[in-house]
Amino acid sequence: MRNLLTLALLAFAAPALQSAERVERGLLVRYEMGDGEGRTIQDRSGVGKPLNLVIDRSSRVRRSGGGLVIESSSRIASSQPATKIIDAVKRSNAISVEAWLRPSDTSQSGPARIVSISANTSNRNFTLGQEKNAYDVRLRATESDNNGLPSTASPKRTVQTKLTHVVFTRDAKGKATLYVDGKLVARKTVKGKLRNWNDQYRLVLVNEATGDRPWLGELHLVAIYGRALSQQDVRQNFAAGSQSKAAEPISEQERIARANRRLFDRHVAPLLATHCLECHDAAIKQGDFDLSHKSAALASGESGNAIVPGNVADSLLWDLVTSDDMPKDRPPLSTEEKAVLRKWIDAGATWSVDTIDPAVYLNEGQAGEVWLQRLTVSEYIETVRSAVGVDIGDEARRILPPDLRADGFNNTAYNLNIDLKHVEAYSKLAEIIVDRMDILKFAGRFSKSRKLSTDDTMRDDVAAIGKWLLRGPLDSREINKYSGIATTVASAGGDFEEAIRYIVEAMLQSPRFVYRVEYQHGDGQPRPVDDYELASRMSYILWGAPPDETLMKAADEGELGDSKAVRAQVKRMLHDPRTIRRSQEFVSQWLNLGRLSNLRPNGKRFPNWNAQLALDMQRETLAYFKEVVWAQNRPLADLLNAQVTYASPALAKHYGLEPIGKGIQRYDLTEVPSRGGILTQASVLTIGGDEASMVSRGLFVLNDLLRGTINAPPPCVNTVPPPTKTGLTQRGIAESRVADQKCGVCHIRFEPLAYGLEKFDGIGAYHEQDEHGNKLRDDGEVLFPGTAEPVAYQTSAELMDLLAASQRVQQSLTWKLTQFALGRPLVAADAPVVDQIHQAAQKHGGTYVSLITEIVMSDLVQRARTEAVP
Amino acid sequence: MNRPRISRRTMLKSTGLKTAGAVAIGLPLLEEMTLTTASAAGQVEVPVRAFNVFFGLGIPAPLQREGYDGVLEPLKPLRDKLLIMRGVDQLRADEKGINAHYDGATAAFTAQPPDGEAKAGGASIDQVIRRDHYPDGMPPGMVPTLVAGTFFRRSRIGRYVHSFNADGTVAATMQEKPRDLFERVFGTLEAAGDDPDQRRARLRRSVLDAVVDQYKFYTGANSPLGKTSRARVAEHLDRIREYEQRAYAMKGKIEGAPPLPERSTLLHGGSADPGGEGIDITLEELSSEWRLMADLYALAIQTDRTRFGALTFLAAGERIRLTGDYHYDGRKIFQFDDEGQLKKSGSAGCSHEWWHQFNEKKANEALRAHAHLKMREVAYFLSRLDTEESRDANGKTILENSLITISTESGDGRHNDVKRELSGVFHAISGGGGRFKTGQIVDVGAEGVDVYNTMLTAMGCKQRLGPKKRDASHVDAIRV
Repeated sequence: MRNLLTLALLAFAAPALQSAERVERGLLVRYEMGDGEGRTIQDRSGVGKPLNLVIDRSSRVRRSGGGLVIESSSRIASSQPATKIIDAVKRSNAISVEAWLRPSDTSQSGPARIVSISANTSNRNFTLGQEKNAYDVRLRATESDNNGLPSTASPKRTVQTKLTHVVFTRDAKGKATLYVDGKLVARKTVKGKLRNWNDQYRLVLVNEATGDRPWLGELHLVAIYGRALSQQDVRQNFAAGSQSKAAEPISEQERIARANRRLFDRHVAPLLATHCLECHDAAIKQGDFDLSHKSAALASGESGNAIVPGNVADSLLWDLVTSDDMPKDRPPLSTEEKAVLRKWIDAGATWSVDTIDPAVYLNEGQAGEVWLQRLTVSEYIETVRSAVGVDIGDEARRILPPDLRADGFNNTAYNLNIDLKHVEAYSKLAEIIVDRMDILKFAGRFSKSRKLSTDDTMRDDVAAIGKWLLRGPLDSREINKYSGIATTVASAGGDFEEAIRYIVEAMLQSPRFVYRVEYQHGDGQPRPVDDYELASRMSYILWGAPPDETLMKAADEGELGDSKAVRAQVKRMLHDPRTIRRSQEFVSQWLNLGRLSNLRPNGKRFPNWNAQLALDMQRETLAYFKEVVWAQNRPLADLLNAQVTYASPALAKHYGLEPIGKGIQRYDLTEVPSRGGILTQASVLTIGGDEASMVSRGLFVLNDLLRGTINAPPPCVNTVPPPTKTGLTQRGIAESRVADQKCGVCHIRFEPLAYGLEKFDGIGAYHEQDEHGNKLRDDGEVLFPGTAEPVAYQTSAELMDLLAASQRVQQSLTWKLTQFALGRPLVAADAPVVDQIHQAAQKHGGTYVSLITEIVMSDLVQRARTEAVP
Repeated sequence: MNRPRISRRTMLKSTGLKTAGAVAIGLPLLEEMTLTTASAAGQVEVPVRAFNVFFGLGIPAPLQREGYDGVLEPLKPLRDKLLIMRGVDQLRADEKGINAHYDGATAAFTAQPPDGEAKAGGASIDQVIRRDHYPDGMPPGMVPTLVAGTFFRRSRIGRYVHSFNADGTVAATMQEKPRDLFERVFGTLEAAGDDPDQRRARLRRSVLDAVVDQYKFYTGANSPLGKTSRARVAEHLDRIREYEQRAYAMKGKIEGAPPLPERSTLLHGGSADPGGEGIDITLEELSSEWRLMADLYALAIQTDRTRFGALTFLAAGERIRLTGDYHYDGRKIFQFDDEGQLKKSGSAGCSHEWWHQFNEKKANEALRAHAHLKMREVAYFLSRLDTEESRDANGKTILENSLITISTESGDGRHNDVKRELSGVFHAISGGGGRFKTGQIVDVGAEGVDVYNTMLTAMGCKQRLGPKKRDASHVDAIRV
């Protein structure tokens, strides 16, 4: 009821409701007609290459009151064909055209062209016009003529000489609607496909391309979308008003302050994080300088003020950096970096945050890059299974090169490169796949026709099959190309079945199958993804698989523009078993479980090790994950201390547990304080190698659980650890490194994190003494990144509880899962959104389900990064 | 056109000379390739050969009546070696509900209506002759049937394939790019014949072509991808090309074969027929590609790599928007500009429309120019078989010794009268080794099936086309 009331209010509200935001999804062009000066009207959509318009006779128009007044016959047209509109509309088979206008009178006719994509008075793709006191829309489709007739018209006397909001929509099924001031005034079916749109027509406003159907009046805003706006969308745009909300004027002081904050965010913070915080953060604070906290950095230190805002000469930081005394034992700052630092201090040393988290800036080098994602091996297998029902797992794993790990995951887009072996494999696999398919049954899902001719139904078949296999509508270029295979097959004496076979084989190797292709051009700012892009993002994030029919249908019908509908889809999708498999893929990649298959511990030292035990260790962690995350639906951080595990008899014995049955069994660890949580599982403990290295284990906890950063050891440092012996344990060796003046600066950050694991040997067995009879300890302390004081723990179990309760660990899990979902390392610009995801998910328990849901709903998924078109 | 002609003589004389922007044929012919001719010299025996030459859209019957003074002018230099047959009717090929472009075209050389969208109603002339004269197959290493063409409109195969087996299936895979034709004739990959694995390999190659094309799009100017992603796809494309080279490169070519022609730059496959909307093409582009095909096809015959098959110059109901100045014999015939002259875009702006608009009471200037051009290009191919290099052991040229049948789809392009459309379909034949009258234009006034069966009788064949229970009429007017 309340919703209905809101809608009713929106429906009848005047454009005075200026606060609503305009709908952006599916936007192709937007013109604010009163904007700017001169003859050019800029395309403000930020989508793709701007399609700017030029006023032919500026003397006949004038800008006034936020609009463009057309006083006598004029023509405002693109100089090039409206390719981005035409391509998108042909692909989606849907369109919306919106205009805010004030007609000069109710007698102009022709129809007088308001918005047109046409060549002349008898050839058009689309025209919104005025025929006396009615609006009239002509739309070319395969079942209307080249002039777009019959048209869709509003009732008579709809046109009034006041500022009016007019929207025409036509969805993929042919349903056309016309709205005036948010109200539905006409409804019609425009049958057919829009694929017969002419590629060469330009976008023309206030006239026909030939200049003989002028429209007079005021035009304030024109926008075109590649989808049918819903009634709610139309009302939202009506409520948003005829002009984009003007930005609040900002003072010169504020402008400078913003520029300084930007300088800090983009250049200074990454610089300090990379070069300084290793020794000068809250924990180490060498020379009594803490450059990680704003308050500390600006305060006086032992030797003076590190940073004196506005005065570089008195800033000790500048003095040390410019003389190359700092960073100590590291390469000096470059000339450009020094210039940035100087500029920042001189400009007042503005900070945009209170604390610099170095982890946020780790990947700044990749900030501007937009990589398309190749399907990983597991995604390829799942995609084939979902798309054509063939299990190609064995062959694909055998002949596709494995995906290499980068930035902690195997699905990192920039590292999913391509080799000749991939190409050979895709070709071979495609052949195997179609051999296993029942081609006619598959084709029958899309059409009953068995006709081979491209003049009959083959092009429609290609379009339908392609849309399914390639996860979105095909454009005419693609339909032509794939249809060509059918004619080649025919000319070789082949039949329909053979043609479909080869078409599918080609599609399975095409870029739109092998990669997740998205539109990447824009103005450099994120743009809303379209429905099909979103559907693919959702399905690959949740399932590692393509959209199913339900999700594709939602995309077809434009439902994914509604966040409630998206949330409902996510909820539905979470019940699919593929979601569990995908989540296990996450944990498998995060903990690099694949590594276990390649481990070859020293046979003399670890005689119990064998390949089956390694496999059992992997299975333990996956089963444990499934138990904690899915069976118990616990917060993700509980992975650190849940008192349960799954083990085979051999693994149970390895852990000192009494085997309780054959195969993998669930073991309650409530009474086993030494075990419980992933850090006590052999799959993770083996990270330390045969020597149970505290460096390796500590670094894992620091990097993968605490999202801490650490630089590589300085050159010429001997990194070979001394062996343990009677009286010298791993702990003893680690403590001596921590105490060392040079090494300790860094090692204090991570080695104590592994103290609690000393009782686990290189392959995860538990001991109270080491091989030399030295008594082992599991007490220690944790220094959480960004904090100054470590927190002590007495036992391994206490360490696990500390970690599980740590906000830093919870945040790190959010970061890890977000990175996996996006398939790319996160950069500083992502940090605020990741924080929003984290906060929202924590409100719902911090579970995998809540996290993955919030990730999908976030701007990191709902919007796509773009590269600015030069 | 800057491309020099490819001929047996240039093959024999040259040494792999390559000229700018074009292909030249080099290297001496192998003994293997000249074997037939050489051995035939001793026996003074000429092999039986039959080829079908198809051109799209046809010549309206009223224009045929003008003889060599009209659009047939380009055939005039060859008139002594050709028999023009007027008044050949293909009405029995009419199938209700099927476009006359298609049934007329399928009837050419078969005299039968099509059997569905991918089959003819029966064998074509060349295949009947082949089966009768070579019941045990062709000599080893020879391409049994060579089917090629320069065309764009496709959909149903009868529009562009013109050699069919007895069951109506295509007699050989269509070669629509000069390179494909080259590889089929001079490559060793498939020299042994059309075995199923090789056919499959060829189709998979067409799959790879489509795949390559998709990757090219994503690396090209209209790619929706940004710089880094485009670089990744470009890398993928490079790897595909490497794969293509390894998997599908011609295993070798017959020794002495000419160099591989440049890749065609014209549209082929699905792109060439974008939903029946037609394509833009210049006269220079069209003629250059066709003539390269014609040269290669002629060379295949001259070197006895093949003795049967079909060659297509523009498909039935072809949709092109042709531009360019058309000159013939030192005079300007016409300036092609279909779209501008028809004042329509898309399919409505294609030359095809001139046939629909034919009116014998009007000048039909554009149609005449197009038909004249078709005859010029057909004559080009025929003349390649009538050169000194094409002289057989009996002293006659291949054109004289072979049965080369030239035909088309209709006798009038207007769709409103099927009888008119499928009557008076242009036909011409060469002498067939002295079996047919040449140097004449004959009004046969007969059904295509009777004309074809008369030709088969003259060629010494026992098999006949068309229904068995039918009173056949012999067209004696065409026989010597």
